[in-house]
Amino acid sequence: MSTTNESEPPEEILRPAWSSQFSPDILQEVEAVGPLAEITRDWAWGGSTGKGVRVAVIDSGIEHDHPAVAGGVRGGTIVEYDRRTKTQLRFKADDKPVDIFGHGTACAGIIHLIAPEAELYSVRVIGRDLTGKAMQFAGGLRWAIEQGMDVVNMSLSTSREEYYGLFHELADEAYFHNVMLVAAVNNIPAPSYPSLYSSVISVAANEGRDPFTYYYNPSPPVEFGAPGIDVEVAWLNKSYSTSTGNSFAAPHITGIVTLIRAKHPEFTPFQIKTVLTACAANSRHPVDR
Amino acid sequence: MTDNHPTNGRLAEELRQLLASIEATGRALLPASNLELLQTVVDAAARIFGAAAASICLVDETDQVLEFKVAIGAGKDEVLGMRIPIDRGIAGYVANTGQPIAISNVQQDPRFNQEFARSTGYVPRSILATPLIIGDRVIGVMEVLDKISAPSFGMQDMELLGVFAQQAAIAIDQSQQMDNLGRAMLRGIDRLLGNDGSDQPTRIRSEIEAGTAEEQTRRREMMDLAGLFFEIGQAGEDERRACLQILAAFRDYLRSRPSLG
Repeated sequence: MSTTNESEPPEEILRPAWSSQFSPDILQEVEAVGPLAEITRDWAWGGSTGKGVRVAVIDSGIEHDHPAVAGGVRGGTIVEYDRRTKTQLRFKADDKPVDIFGHGTACAGIIHLIAPEAELYSVRVIGRDLTGKAMQFAGGLRWAIEQGMDVVNMSLSTSREEYYGLFHELADEAYFHNVMLVAAVNNIPAPSYPSLYSSVISVAANEGRDPFTYYYNPSPPVEFGAPGIDVEVAWLNKSYSTSTGNSFAAPHITGIVTLIRAKHPEFTPFQIKTVLTACAANSRHPVDR
Repeated sequence: MTDNHPTNGRLAEELRQLLASIEATGRALLPASNLELLQTVVDAAARIFGAAAASICLVDETDQVLEFKVAIGAGKDEVLGMRIPIDRGIAGYVANTGQPIAISNVQQDPRFNQEFARSTGYVPRSILATPLIIGDRVIGVMEVLDKISAPSFGMQDMELLGVFAQQAAIAIDQSQQMDNLGRAMLRGIDRLLGNDGSDQPTRIRSEIEAGTAEEQTRRREMMDLAGLFFEIGQAGEDERRACLQILAAFRDYLRSRPSLG
């Protein structure tokens, strides 16, 4: 196999990936028609700080005292795999969360930057044991739904087919409980649950620095593109790093969704998606925004 | 297993041929060549990505650690054999989530910095790490460190390494399966010859290596047979069992033939 790779130029094995859908030469413009043309960013989230909105970050934890999330973290849970229990999961309250990798803090920091008054909850589902990680992830999502979170950021996914049904059920449950799920698409060419479900907002990375500039892709499954390349993010032990990945695009959309939810608490997930689409940078409006 | 026709020369010879054909496919019969394969993969990765260093670590599910199996470039000697807990560092994150990540200015990550620097004396500025996945299982992590031409690895690098890692994972998987198959064949021959001596596989291998030119055509056929073995090995449990039954029946038939008795 390696011999084949060596003899082929890299271009021949390069496949289009999710992020390429948001490159300027491929990205299509979409038209906001009818009442959608009236929707402006100012109407959608102008003046909103995310106040009162509860946001769960399902990830590696959140460093609660990191300056990038200062005052935003309100608690959370640690989901551990435990084959001795009936559900094979164990939940531990996490009032002052920590982060084991830095990744969850990076995501939380982005959300906090956009929606500084949102309430952040850490749902730590990854850690020492690889055995039950998809179950931990699903358990964390269920916890977030049951706790009545308004928005859930999932900068992780599973490609395991046997979890397709479970995550689909959870996505539906979230929808019917008015919980907005935002998920990063995996960067590798594999199925990516739960990002593939229609009630979930799926996000990939694109070039760009402005946290409020994002794009809508009219050729799903990946629907939105947001900054995720060389993004300055919070990392472990009050540090910062420069990171790249769809992981960091998703919290940008989570932040904006949080602003919309704070300003329009009556919106359902699909109404939020509609507003988000109408306010995308590649959405053409007949009237001036 | 001495009652299984220990002097069945022709069958033993066929098995030898089969074993030789597996070896002839270039796949790993010995753990050493498995590592050679991984080494080729990281060498190529470092070259393709213009990286100062590259490594592959594999998941040890029993101990919940990542073990660095091969490396190239800066810090190579120190990193080889290093075992890191699966809940630490960039590689740990990738192994846990199956998500690739590119990160630069990593000196600012004190935990990463301290642990890695203490062990290797080398602190990279930029890292691109991607999972090695077989089916839906993360078997390891491939990392390329310090892109020479740029301060960080970009999205295109990440996507390319993803495809590259996919190929590498398949190669590792095949190698491991061939390794298992090769060992099984050696055990089979050993039993067939009625020898339980631990040095027997070595002796058999040396006999195979001494094969004559006349056997080449036959080897090609045996290679096809090895290919079939591999393909069936990849199939489901029911298919493998069915195949085992068919082969066992054929073996019984061969044993029952007077000319072989």
